[in-house]
Amino acid sequence: MLGAPMPPARTRPAEAPRLSDLGAVFARYGNLTFGGGSATIATLREQVLVRRAWISESQFQLAYALSRLTPGTNLLAFCAAVGWTVRRGSGALVALGAASLPCSLLAVVVTRFYELGQTSASFVAALRGALAAAVALMLNTAWGLARPHVRADLGRALVIVPGAIALVTAASLSPLQVLLIAAAAGALWPARETSA
Amino acid sequence: MRFLTLYFLFLKATATTFAGLASLPVLRDELVVHRHVITDHQLNAAVVITRSTPGPVGVYVVSVGYFADGLAGALAGWLAMATPALAVLLLMRFIGPRAEHPRVKGMLQAIVLASAGLLVASTVPLARDAVVGPLTAAIAALGLVALLRKVDALWVIAAGAGASLAASLAGVTS
Repeated sequence: MLGAPMPPARTRPAEAPRLSDLGAVFARYGNLTFGGGSATIATLREQVLVRRAWISESQFQLAYALSRLTPGTNLLAFCAAVGWTVRRGSGALVALGAASLPCSLLAVVVTRFYELGQTSASFVAALRGALAAAVALMLNTAWGLARPHVRADLGRALVIVPGAIALVTAASLSPLQVLLIAAAAGALWPARETSA
Repeated sequence: MRFLTLYFLFLKATATTFAGLASLPVLRDELVVHRHVITDHQLNAAVVITRSTPGPVGVYVVSVGYFADGLAGALAGWLAMATPALAVLLLMRFIGPRAEHPRVKGMLQAIVLASAGLLVASTVPLARDAVVGPLTAAIAALGLVALLRKVDALWVIAAGAGASLAASLAGVTS
């Protein structure tokens, strides 16, 4: 499901983990992984399924699939789903907080340093290059979102993607309005299977 | 800007999109275009900052919040980033068995495709701010090639920063 071979899992233990253990695992592995959501989820799977056997393979698959259908950051939805599977509401909150607070605090610190560093000529020069790279990053993200659906149904993608661009630029609709129109169109236009 | 206003603006963006950076068009529309709370440059910088640190891509909302209103803004950003994740609990309990329905799948796929289009549309003004000459154009183009070849975003950003810094030290304009 994540694109890389996964090692086999142990069977699920009878006892759920303590909230402190759950929080420690999500704080450590949910915040310290580079490479985006898929890489982090693969790391978390290794910890909660293969090493600790807190959840079963089918529970992992359900949490992963539904997290992809959840608005917002899929990785955090996945963490909440695993926490809920293991310890219900308290587990979801602990996993969600542990997976999002440390990296958020780090983002605040780095943002603060960014503001302080703007007076340095070297910093400004380096930032200029990083910002140009970020443009590539955003285009790549757009392609990453569309790619599975382009492969599954090119015609559908060729209508919806340019249509969304036209509605937000030429017709000056807000992004939210465009998404609502897309949702309505998608409900009326059944989808084919994707490889995602 | 008031904390709750900022929180609901962020939530409007995070709760209506299905991937970390997909919320960027909605945020830009509200905070850059209509309310002038932050600039395109700061929005772009927030993406760079959070792709240079570990954690989910969606954390860029926290950085945007800090630019908008300091620590209170960052807190609003974190809450808005975390809140939609709780919707998965409802899905786990009630919607999971129906997720394969063709109309539900069609709706979700259309939202994802539209999010991709919106992200492209949002990248254009950000690119006008970031790509200011041949060097930055080359960094953006080569960066895209590298990303498509699965090079980690951290290395692409670091390489872009390094190239621009080296060019600056050598007296080459960007």
